[in-house]
Amino acid sequence: MDSNQSSRSEGSAEQSSLVSEDGKNIKSVVCQRCGSKVLCAGTAVLTEKELFLPSMRKKNNINQSDGTLDGDTLTAHWLVDDMYTFENVGFTKDVGKVKYLICADCEIGPIGWHSLDDKKSFYVALDRVNHE
Amino acid sequence: MDSRYEIQRRAGGGAAGFGGGSATGSPALGASARRRKTPPRPADYKLQIIIIGSRGVGKTSLMERFTDDTFCEACKSTVGVDFKIKTVELRGKKIRLQIWDTAGQERFNSITSAYYRGAKGIIIVYDITKQETFEDLPKWMKMIDKYASEEAELLLVGNKLDCESDRIVTRQQAERFASRISGMRFCEASAKDNFNVDEIFLKLVDDILSKMPLEVPSRELSNSVLSLQPEPEVPPELPPPRMRCC
Repeated sequence: MDSNQSSRSEGSAEQSSLVSEDGKNIKSVVCQRCGSKVLCAGTAVLTEKELFLPSMRKKNNINQSDGTLDGDTLTAHWLVDDMYTFENVGFTKDVGKVKYLICADCEIGPIGWHSLDDKKSFYVALDRVNHE
Repeated sequence: MDSRYEIQRRAGGGAAGFGGGSATGSPALGASARRRKTPPRPADYKLQIIIIGSRGVGKTSLMERFTDDTFCEACKSTVGVDFKIKTVELRGKKIRLQIWDTAGQERFNSITSAYYRGAKGIIIVYDITKQETFEDLPKWMKMIDKYASEEAELLLVGNKLDCESDRIVTRQQAERFASRISGMRFCEASAKDNFNVDEIFLKLVDDILSKMPLEVPSRELSNSVLSLQPEPEVPPELPPPRMRCC
């Protein structure tokens, strides 16, 4: 299955190069596909939380055999507490009590997760974005 | 050097940058290179913009960048984009736009008044190839008069300029319509080939900024995505179960 991103950066040395001493993102967070800037450097905090995000690849989205939704449970996320911290981001309509975050420009996604039950938490999965 | 983001007051077109083109790279990316020297700063302004207009005029296309190759296309059609946060820089200010598209709620009275209430800018879209979408404009104006702030900047957009050969509504007709409404600006655009789309937003933002008191950032918008619900003090009902993605 190649729906899992090849780079499982969680807990790796790669990840430590992205996080400052105070737990913030050293680099800016950009869209993997179009480079649109999602977060400026230093604006988000690394956090661990198990979140299921549907696959970004449409062909793999539904498992042909059992019809379940294909995706990844990701644990490393950039967390911000105010939606206006984002430089550019899109919100999907509600899926249950969740809104998925997508790239505001090319709409690739989901790149992140937001629960309507927690208005002060917006998560962007490290594996679903680039850092530069 | 930030010229991509700056437009002269009332000069309108010319400045690209908002949204950008996928082939040429993101303007945000460019901005990151420019801004790297300075620490991140919070936005100077937060503005809410809504896009209204009859069904099929291309509201969503104005908000979205047109891509044939969108990942998770199936997700998009079932779930859809609710709103976007976009950042532009104008007059040396960093402005966060919260842009709402009202597609799917085109029956005039189905768009809740809450959409209008907080909007600092309203983009009213019609299709230059469909007379009825132009004739609907007075009805949209009624909604604006009823619900929107008097301060809200209005921009009329004749969309689908790429279909010039099928044009029904002339530019003059629309100019005449816009000129009868105080403060309404008008332009034509094509979301399909991105013609004038960046400019539309920049123009609107520029108009909004010119009305705002200097150095008093707008703090009216709450952090909640539910803030546009009609009665925020009442806990929102759980939305009806939707089909799972795809």
